[in-house]
Amino acid sequence: MISRRKFLVLVTASAATIATGKALSIGEEEHKSELSNYEWGMIIDVDKCTQCIKEIMEKEGIDDVEKVKPPCIRECDKANNVPESEKYYYSLIRIYEVREREDAAPLYFPVMCQECEHPACVQVCLTKASYRREDGIIVVDLHRCIGCRYCMIACPYNARRFLWEPPEEHLRVVNPEAPIRKHGVVMKCEFCLWKIDRERAENKEPKPVCVEACPHKALIFGNLKDPNSEVSKILKTSKVLTLRAYLGTNPKVKYKLWGD
Amino acid sequence: MGVEVPKIDFKKIDGSSPGYYAICAIWLIICLIGVYAYYLQWIHGEQLTGLNNQVPWGFGIAAVCYFIGASAGSLIVSALSGVFEKEEFKIFSRSAAFFAAAMIVAAMGAIFTDIGNPANSINFLIHFNPTSIFSWNAFLYSSYFAVCFVYLLAQFEEKKFLVRCIAVFAVGWAVLVHSGTGGIIGFVYSNDFYHSSLTPPLFIISAIASGLGLLIPTYILTFKWTKREYDLDLLWTLTKIMGAMVILLIYCFAVEGFEKGYMPASHEAFLRMITSPETPVVYVYWIGQIGLMLLALAIMLSPFRKREWAMIAAGLIVAVAVFCERYTLVVPGLSYPYEVFAGYEVVKPFHIVPYYPSWTEWAIVFGLLAGVYLAYCIGIKIFALLPEKAVKIEKGEVKK
Repeated sequence: MISRRKFLVLVTASAATIATGKALSIGEEEHKSELSNYEWGMIIDVDKCTQCIKEIMEKEGIDDVEKVKPPCIRECDKANNVPESEKYYYSLIRIYEVREREDAAPLYFPVMCQECEHPACVQVCLTKASYRREDGIIVVDLHRCIGCRYCMIACPYNARRFLWEPPEEHLRVVNPEAPIRKHGVVMKCEFCLWKIDRERAENKEPKPVCVEACPHKALIFGNLKDPNSEVSKILKTSKVLTLRAYLGTNPKVKYKLWGD
Repeated sequence: MGVEVPKIDFKKIDGSSPGYYAICAIWLIICLIGVYAYYLQWIHGEQLTGLNNQVPWGFGIAAVCYFIGASAGSLIVSALSGVFEKEEFKIFSRSAAFFAAAMIVAAMGAIFTDIGNPANSINFLIHFNPTSIFSWNAFLYSSYFAVCFVYLLAQFEEKKFLVRCIAVFAVGWAVLVHSGTGGIIGFVYSNDFYHSSLTPPLFIISAIASGLGLLIPTYILTFKWTKREYDLDLLWTLTKIMGAMVILLIYCFAVEGFEKGYMPASHEAFLRMITSPETPVVYVYWIGQIGLMLLALAIMLSPFRKREWAMIAAGLIVAVAVFCERYTLVVPGLSYPYEVFAGYEVVKPFHIVPYYPSWTEWAIVFGLLAGVYLAYCIGIKIFALLPEKAVKIEKGEVKK
């Protein structure tokens, strides 16, 4: 029969061994994959977005920006299995109406996950369910997410959504290529990584669904590490706005406000 | 030669009266209602709560903070004799440590019932994130339970030196656990309402206040109903400590409030949340938090302050007021939208979203609290947690 003292010593020794092994494994060098050649970013031309939203509002007789669903949101919702609910706003993109002063002309900004270089959501995630891929896309691993919603609290852009209801009750079509989620987890814009990974493998120029759906070509997507990509060229020549830049999160989504 | 210390006889309660079973039955029924509410939430998702994508944290997280606070407060009461050598408080040491352990279990229960995907909750053990203060807290909470458990065992074994060592460690751990919990809120830099270095120390002060707020009425009623002789002066000392904590809390609220109101970028938001009746926050803040704390202080300063009912009332009022404080810490910062386009005069959508906890949230939180008290009722029956006499033992009365 093992004594109590021996048992305690054995348990402590085993725990220490496991902890040491785990700690040593932290120092292991990470191998960079092909993804590290990319850093995806997006430039949003606010003038073009404003034109698009104004056209829709005029055409449909809507005066409330919250009721507008431009093609980028509609197609994104469909392609990414985003439920449609009357109770909760689930769309991964939200349109904001912004005016310098009360009597100024409105500007319309689509706001989605800003794919930050220093993402607050990744920093706070309890289980590393939110992580930053080598190509800069912030991903939510649905199998790790415990649904604590701390990432939603930490996100400075209110870009994350929690599935409060079973989503299958609110889906008209299902895209088997995109993540199919269950209730109780968090979702966000991931630059349609299921699509861009496929297109990259097919040697095509990758584009998220919203970029393809935009009739005004207001959303420009590309590799920030490639100096000849369109996004890089715009960043070299244009003035852009970064949302809540003072927080130091360094988003990879920028807003072009001042024409060329 | 060590100094001889008075030995206290701890004894189990009889626990065979109809009154005892009636109390246990009440706690059990509240627990079962909580279990049923959670079952519904499990099946239908968190749409049964009053939360939404703008206010994703509410009653559940306020309860997490509250239970952890009450646990830390109880442990500090338990350690008064072991750490601060206030031997007269040794009579509370076992039961307060038991209470602390039960409260931390309730806190973990509140986290478990608040998360959307509890089936994955094991992941917090497997995938530790060193940059997440919540991840550290998950480790701190579970280890804190172990510390409370060992501390209680050492007390049962009557190993004085060991008890003192563990008590010092446990109090340090309790401070760490509570500072960490404050950090979960206070370190969120994207939210001007949350971001404050005052939150962790404020959490510790609230912890002691709420821990005492629950313990004082619990002790008075337990001693009364188990027909134990008890010294009201000892409980009055605890009440005075609670009063001091309440004064400190009000001071901290004033500092925090002036700081938030001082910065032009945040003063409009802050003033709107505490003055405009668009959300329940204004009532919870002025009536629940500030009003009840002032009322408790008034009772503690009144001529009736040393009466049993006054101490019970003051304790319960402080316990409720601290819960309201937890609520106003968590909710207003979310009800008021994040200013993604700060500096622009007009931004739409810009909704101040009122949050009302649903019946399931109330039921789950009360179920957890009832669980703590049910555990306490059972604990004092099967373990020798309570002293035979809750009175000061003079030096001449030392028992061997």
